[in-house]
Amino acid sequence: MKFITIDKKDWTKGIDNSRKTYQLFGPVKDEKNGCKITKLDTNVLPDMDYHESVLSAKSVLFPQTETILTTSLNESVEEHHVMKRAKNDYTPRAVLGIRPYDAKAIGLVKLNFDTKEYRDPYWCDAYEATTFIGLGITRPGPFDFSTSVGCGPFCEEGLDILLADLDDKYLAKVITPKGEAYAAACGFDTPADDKESQALFDILRKEAEKNISTSVDTLNLKEKNLLDLHEAPFWDDVAFACINCGTCTYVCPTCWCFDIQDEAKLKESARFRNWDTCMSPLFTRHATGHNPRGAKVQRVRQRFMHKLKYFLDKYDQGIMCVGCGRCVKSCPVNIDIRQVAHTMNTYEKKD
Amino acid sequence: MGNLLEHMGVERDRVHFSWISSAEATKFVDVVKEISEKVRALGPNKKFVKDYN
Amino acid sequence: MDTCIQKIRELAADLLERGEVEKVIGFAQGTIPMATSPISVGTKQGVDNLVFNSTCGLNLANFASRQKGKIAIIAKGCDSRNIVTHIVENQLQRDQVYIIGVPCNGMVDKFKIAALFEDEITGFAEDGGTLTVSSSLQTKTLKKQEYLRENCLLCTHKNPVLYDVLAGELVEEQVLENAFPDVDKIEAMDVDGRWQYFQRLTQNCIRCYACRNACPICYCPTCFVDEAGPQWVGKGQNKTDVDTFHFLRAFHCAGRCTDCGACVEACPMGINVRDFTRKLNKDALELFGWEAGLDISKRPPLDAYSPQDPDDFIK
Repeated sequence: MKFITIDKKDWTKGIDNSRKTYQLFGPVKDEKNGCKITKLDTNVLPDMDYHESVLSAKSVLFPQTETILTTSLNESVEEHHVMKRAKNDYTPRAVLGIRPYDAKAIGLVKLNFDTKEYRDPYWCDAYEATTFIGLGITRPGPFDFSTSVGCGPFCEEGLDILLADLDDKYLAKVITPKGEAYAAACGFDTPADDKESQALFDILRKEAEKNISTSVDTLNLKEKNLLDLHEAPFWDDVAFACINCGTCTYVCPTCWCFDIQDEAKLKESARFRNWDTCMSPLFTRHATGHNPRGAKVQRVRQRFMHKLKYFLDKYDQGIMCVGCGRCVKSCPVNIDIRQVAHTMNTYEKKD
Repeated sequence: MGNLLEHMGVERDRVHFSWISSAEATKFVDVVKEISEKVRALGPNKKFVKDYN
Repeated sequence: MDTCIQKIRELAADLLERGEVEKVIGFAQGTIPMATSPISVGTKQGVDNLVFNSTCGLNLANFASRQKGKIAIIAKGCDSRNIVTHIVENQLQRDQVYIIGVPCNGMVDKFKIAALFEDEITGFAEDGGTLTVSSSLQTKTLKKQEYLRENCLLCTHKNPVLYDVLAGELVEEQVLENAFPDVDKIEAMDVDGRWQYFQRLTQNCIRCYACRNACPICYCPTCFVDEAGPQWVGKGQNKTDVDTFHFLRAFHCAGRCTDCGACVEACPMGINVRDFTRKLNKDALELFGWEAGLDISKRPPLDAYSPQDPDDFIK
């Protein structure tokens, strides 16, 4: 771990240097819709001043549609009809300006995609190829409640480098060897005093955290009885407004569910996966037609129980939420996870 | 449907509607000829065609 | 609108107390600025949660069908037109629903307002035609009329078309010289220009289906995009599949869409989904003299045959 300073005059040149060995991802302004985190064309710089992106950075490792296997249906070709892994690009990539909560979310998603028994090769290969360069949030928005869930505007979890914006320069905390390699590829090497820099980071963090206006108490969730919560009477009220779209799950940096589809055109065939959403009745519909989550209220309950209870019980790594507030902002009917967490956290079963 | 497709930028002459009785063989031939000519004049359609990875 | 919400609450409380309805469907204040949330109120005490303001942009008719027992519903002009459509399409019986009509002065365009600020909006208040919107950096005073949603600017049915009681004075309906300037603009483009326009329009679509699910007339038990046997459309982000969804959904709304704007309101990606349905609304008006949801005794044009129906398109 070390600190370096990056003069903003050198920023563009450094980033361009790194393009020789890294494919870059970062925030890009959209004509209509804030910002999206996407692959950067060679002439595009990341928009480091963005204040929001409707979608999180999860698509860098987990694209909404990703080809995983391909095969040929042409019987004159060798090994026709044999599914082979798609030739996706896993050369080094770096994502610039990722929000600390998005980086933390990647750690939570990893618990699912990289376990002792199973390793999702597509996600894990992309993860291993990626260097995460985060930007501390100096002005958290009104939906940010990241400090309530073990994260925060300057949280380092999951990051290889954390940048702090100091107007004319960035102060960079290089956290991992991956981060060092990326800084070297850019040619950023002006050292900064460790002690002073850390002190500055601490001040910035405290200042930023002061601006976070909402908090959610989740401490009691662990000891709540799972079945009591499941059977609790408040779910009908929570679910009433829900229109069962997939917005909350698609904008969420920690939602990892996917659906697998096969498609063929002429003699070429591919299997790919798409983001799926537990809000859709299709998510659980069996081939028989039976659906264990056939009603809207069951699906709404599932989403919150998974995030705030099942995940917590299974992994003991906190709740499956990093407090970015995207679902709160984007939900068409304003269902607020902060309120639901509060309701669950304070629920007492009446005999 | 033709109107909305046209509105979305699919050429009007690509979509044709006709009512032809099984007894109207000559009408069928005429209509097919006309459609073929109009579509040929437009060239291959590139819109609403799924590119495959 | 302060007086109107008082009246709404009084009416709702009275209906619940008399047992005339089992619940009242309306809007509750949201947890963030410029947001409201549909709510079902079942007790007299609960009516204080009801609000009505310029951010009640969703369509409550969507919440009216498939309810048990008699309900009351708070209806703007467009909500009432969709209740009519529900009744015409047998999704709802007239005697199942008690309509509290609210003459509407339009809903605000949240994207338009958000675009004025560099950071997130932290406060929103309205007083008559004046909006006060603030972020952590600045506060702006805006004229509501200038920040209305596009469909509200072009609305000619602000007053409910069907109601049991009114919660406010009827407002003057505007008479438009041209009801479809947006459609005309697209029609004036050449064929490739139009294609490009719609390609750009949907480029950010994430297929969350919020537009479909917020739409009161999209009530099919299984939507064609969700049908798995046979599967009609690819499920991925392939642009052709995305556009097929939008095109076919719009087509299913032909002669039924009331241009309530709920689809645009719900879209997290800021897509003007109405661009698809507006053309169909224009055609419905020009070819059949039809506007959806005005009369419970009339069948929609695509539902009925008349020898006078235009048939120029057919050889």
